[in-house]
Amino acid sequence: MKTRYFSTFQLFLMTLFAVLIVVAKIALRLPLQLSGHSGVFWMAIIIVGSRVVPKIGSASLIGLLSGILASFLGLGDFGAINTLLSYTMIGVGTDLALLLLGNPENLFVAGIAGALGHFCKFLVKWAFGAITGAPVGFIALGLAKAIVGYIVFGAIGGILGGLTLIALRKAGYFKYLQEKK
Amino acid sequence: MNQKVRVIIAIVIIIVLVGAVIGIEYLRGQQIAAQIDASLEPGDIPVYWNGNLRAAFSPTDIDNLPPASFQDAEEGKTQDGWLLKDVIMIYFNENQFKDDTIIKVISTSREKSVDLTWEEVANTENMVMFDLSGRGTLKLVSLLERLDVRDEWIQDVDRIEINTR
Repeated sequence: MKTRYFSTFQLFLMTLFAVLIVVAKIALRLPLQLSGHSGVFWMAIIIVGSRVVPKIGSASLIGLLSGILASFLGLGDFGAINTLLSYTMIGVGTDLALLLLGNPENLFVAGIAGALGHFCKFLVKWAFGAITGAPVGFIALGLAKAIVGYIVFGAIGGILGGLTLIALRKAGYFKYLQEKK
Repeated sequence: MNQKVRVIIAIVIIIVLVGAVIGIEYLRGQQIAAQIDASLEPGDIPVYWNGNLRAAFSPTDIDNLPPASFQDAEEGKTQDGWLLKDVIMIYFNENQFKDDTIIKVISTSREKSVDLTWEEVANTENMVMFDLSGRGTLKLVSLLERLDVRDEWIQDVDRIEINTR
């Protein structure tokens, strides 16, 4: 019998991470009036998810699943397609970054992967605007601030994810997962 | 390839992507500048008074205005920015407006617009204001019933028309 790339258990775990992203997006409100601040918890969840299911494409699938959920729940200011693509691209960007950088339990790697993954969300939002002929952004006031926000909060989220992974390893969670495959 | 090289490559990728965004946005600005009124800068939002271009506001103009904010009922997010009334008052006097003066806020790219009366705009309880979106464009948000959810907001505002007739 042909073995599937992701086991049912892994798909179940990834779905849980996707739900966690959407719930966090709705429920957690950081009192920061800065673009991209949701990256703090978002990237932490994605980074943890990509290691709990240590296969290429796991972050992308978590992103896609969370994007589908968020689109149906009507999240985001720029419509369902924008929401779906931006959520998915966070996962794709994180996957590509981890493919290049390796293990996110190294906090430096986790930070850069978080920054790169989260910046992909900004790229989708910006590209949509450029393609649909949106007015040129106020570069000094909005665009530059948004770029920095997405990178910094993504990096912080990545580091938090890395710290969570280290804590999970110490707690023996990965040994438990190996038994559950 | 060792870890150090991989990290450097990742940082270079981020820098290149940031540079590409700013570069493309700059080129878009140059392209738009060739098409718009010579007195406007790319990214400026023109304000028309009875069909005549009377003003255009830029980031520096609105950055100095008093901040305003409210929590939207739909997602509970804080919308913060600058009141439309304060933006208009940079260029006009209050006595130029009557309660029924129409202020049309337009987004050409999204093919959306809303007609507001001066009475609605001037009432600060309605919180008719601009919020800066993540990509640096302005969106019109409000507590007014016909402008209080995302579908009704005017994202990517690029023109304001004031009609007193």
